[in-house]
Amino acid sequence: MLPAECSRRLVAELRDALDSCAERQRQLEQSLRVSRRLLRAWEPAETPAPEPTPGPEINEETPSSACPPSPQDLKELELLTQALEKAVRVRKGLSKAGGVKARSPKSGSASSATRASAPPSTSRCAGSCALEAKPPRGVRHPWVPAKDLPGHRLLLVGDGPHMGQGARANKPEAGLGDQQIVPKAASQVPEAFTLKDKGALLRLPEAFRKAASRNARLWAQLSSMQTGDSVDTAAATAKTQFLQKMQTAAGQPSSMLSAAEVRRLQKACSLLRLRMREELMADPKDWTQEYRSLLTLEGLQALVGQCLHRLQEQQELRSVVVEQLQGPCPEGPPRAALPCGGDADPVWSPQLLLYSSTQELQTLAALRLRVAMLDQQVHLEKVLMAELLPLLSEQEPLGHPWLALCRAAHCLLCERGQRFLTVLRDEPADRLSPP
Amino acid sequence: MGRRRRRRPDPADAARALPEAIAALSRALPAAPSPETFRRAKFDRPEAAPALWRLLFRVLSPLPADGASASLALEAQARWVKSALRSQGYPRQALVQLPDEGFQGGRELLLALAWLLARGPLPERLLTQSRVRLGDEMPLCECEALASPGLPAPSVEAEGCVDIRHLQWLMGKLRLRWRNLMAGQQEQCALLGQIHAYTRGCHSDRSLGHLSVTETELLRDPKGGRQLLLQLETENARLEAALEWRRRELVFWQWMDTVLDACPPEASLPTFLPRIPKLGAGAAGLLVRELQALQEELREAVEARRAAWQAAVGGHGPEWRAARRALQTAVAQDLAALQRAWEQDEGRSRPHGPCRLVRTEARVPGGPGLWAAGVTEALRAREACLEAVLSQLQSQCRQELARLAGARPGLIWILPPAH
Repeated sequence: MLPAECSRRLVAELRDALDSCAERQRQLEQSLRVSRRLLRAWEPAETPAPEPTPGPEINEETPSSACPPSPQDLKELELLTQALEKAVRVRKGLSKAGGVKARSPKSGSASSATRASAPPSTSRCAGSCALEAKPPRGVRHPWVPAKDLPGHRLLLVGDGPHMGQGARANKPEAGLGDQQIVPKAASQVPEAFTLKDKGALLRLPEAFRKAASRNARLWAQLSSMQTGDSVDTAAATAKTQFLQKMQTAAGQPSSMLSAAEVRRLQKACSLLRLRMREELMADPKDWTQEYRSLLTLEGLQALVGQCLHRLQEQQELRSVVVEQLQGPCPEGPPRAALPCGGDADPVWSPQLLLYSSTQELQTLAALRLRVAMLDQQVHLEKVLMAELLPLLSEQEPLGHPWLALCRAAHCLLCERGQRFLTVLRDEPADRLSPP
Repeated sequence: MGRRRRRRPDPADAARALPEAIAALSRALPAAPSPETFRRAKFDRPEAAPALWRLLFRVLSPLPADGASASLALEAQARWVKSALRSQGYPRQALVQLPDEGFQGGRELLLALAWLLARGPLPERLLTQSRVRLGDEMPLCECEALASPGLPAPSVEAEGCVDIRHLQWLMGKLRLRWRNLMAGQQEQCALLGQIHAYTRGCHSDRSLGHLSVTETELLRDPKGGRQLLLQLETENARLEAALEWRRRELVFWQWMDTVLDACPPEASLPTFLPRIPKLGAGAAGLLVRELQALQEELREAVEARRAAWQAAVGGHGPEWRAARRALQTAVAQDLAALQRAWEQDEGRSRPHGPCRLVRTEARVPGGPGLWAAGVTEALRAREACLEAVLSQLQSQCRQELARLAGARPGLIWILPPAH
């Protein structure tokens, strides 16, 4: 068993890592849900879109003219609706058999044979109009084959996105057949909207486009105002003076190790280590190179000393501080280093990242996750080293607990927790003391 | 406040400038109190304080305001604000000495807010955090993910001792989560690719060319689309307020000077020192250990080479001295360049920040934008670098463990086969 403090810290670190992973997963799952839903057939919208401008429009050649239904239409539709409801009651349970759509008749229109595939938008719109005039109850469900209904060969609209624009387009005398039997499900028109087939016809609504372009413009203005900060140097000076005044009014030293500086030193450490590796690996061919290598290593040693000195004087300061301050501080477990510098300028608007194939995108995304995972692993490795190695070197007794700890530590530290080593005693005659 | 721009004599203009600046600020910040509250705060009126505590809490907390954090009692929020300010190095003690109940000290709170505003582009940063994302974004670095550590969760407390096997189990769990994540991510990319391909040609913005998931979703679900539009419009209003604030802020700073002057001078407590920010405590400790290890390695290497050099130095001629000086200068420049690499903020060299994904068939760089191939290369380099660091740390551990094991005779250690 590990000591309490050590346990607490390590468990907190690992839980932290697990939580951040879980958060990513949550966000990913949400995106997946949305994307999958978009690629399926789109369900009917719950509320009709109020805009008069073209939304998801399939047949753009439809001349649309808004027209309120005439009273006679309304009466006929009333009858229609009642008949339909009756049929629903009759055929309860089968109405979801899926698939036969029906159209509402228009009064007085002699039929030119309008097939199911005939100008669907007009009839659709007529139907939607009708449906809006009288909010139907069971009517939206796909309809059973009309031939099953004695005397009523009714056609009813069931298609979603177009119900949305029902208010708009209505051709009362569109040459629609009055009572057509819609052929069976097998040959029916797939009226559901899928992105695959008709995605290229979508258009964004006008209001949204305006708002989005205004948004982009404002962000651009804001960012140019920041980067070209000579716009108002008077304000910049005033701010610096204010800060200085605050500082002197409080009367205390301001040399504190900021988070940015810690990050800088972390970067320094990794750059120095990298450089050292390079020098140690290099094979000097002649004395100039040897001497140069020696000088470089000595220089690196000096730089490391400087960084340590800076850190250590702050560590002393910190221990003084900790004694005096009380109260909670929003301090969690030490976080993995922010590679880019979290205090950097906020990113104003995202850049464009251009890719040309799904494969490319997948590679990129996989790499990005891999880098994030490695970052986390490096951090965890350092934390584990800091906690476990001292523990192992402190414990003296050569017994089972120590061996078990050593083996587990090796697994965690050296094999990323994936493989174990085996320990054998060299003297089989010795009895092992019970743990 | 009114935004009428009639021609007025100067004094009235000047008198209006400050309220308008404060009004702009109040519109630009999230959940800011009315401009009247600011004025009351200057005179230390008690009703101003709670609003300013809440504003500071909202501004300082890294997460966007959600139900959990917003419902914290005023007292808890006040305490949190105090420690957050302390960890950023806020200089004034008077704030810390304010009672937690939150009804006093409007002026101090006003000064704290001004201090935060002076240090960096605060309204802009807040706007960036809560930005409406219209495109499909992929963050190229982990800044945003890591920058929101969240409020301290006191749930994990008093765990007691754990067996190391528990840690192994947690590590395995972590590995599994990453694997699931990566698989899910691949699927998401495939779906995105399809959506982008199917909606090609739909976008009014030619440089984008196709719709993003958000935009397609707004077409599919008009209700959600209206909400998105509302959010956009709110953001636009705040952006305009931020721009106006930037134009007018000078008069605010002049006013803050008077506020500061109105405060009684603080008794200087030389022993009061702000705490190192939250990144400091543990990370600095780790860093110290790393640097010490590095120093040790360097020392050994240098000693060995210096000894070898001294032994061989005799056999060099007079041109040696000049050459030596040249080498010394060269190395010094080299190391200075290395030092510059971390001293200066080189955040731009690495791909940074979220990017909007755009699928394109084009081969020519039409406008500003990163190419996926380039970013992939950069990421591969970073991956290699991190792998190197990790394996170096692992070999360090192996050596240390071998040393410890070697100290105990009578055991045979069979290492797992190297892959």
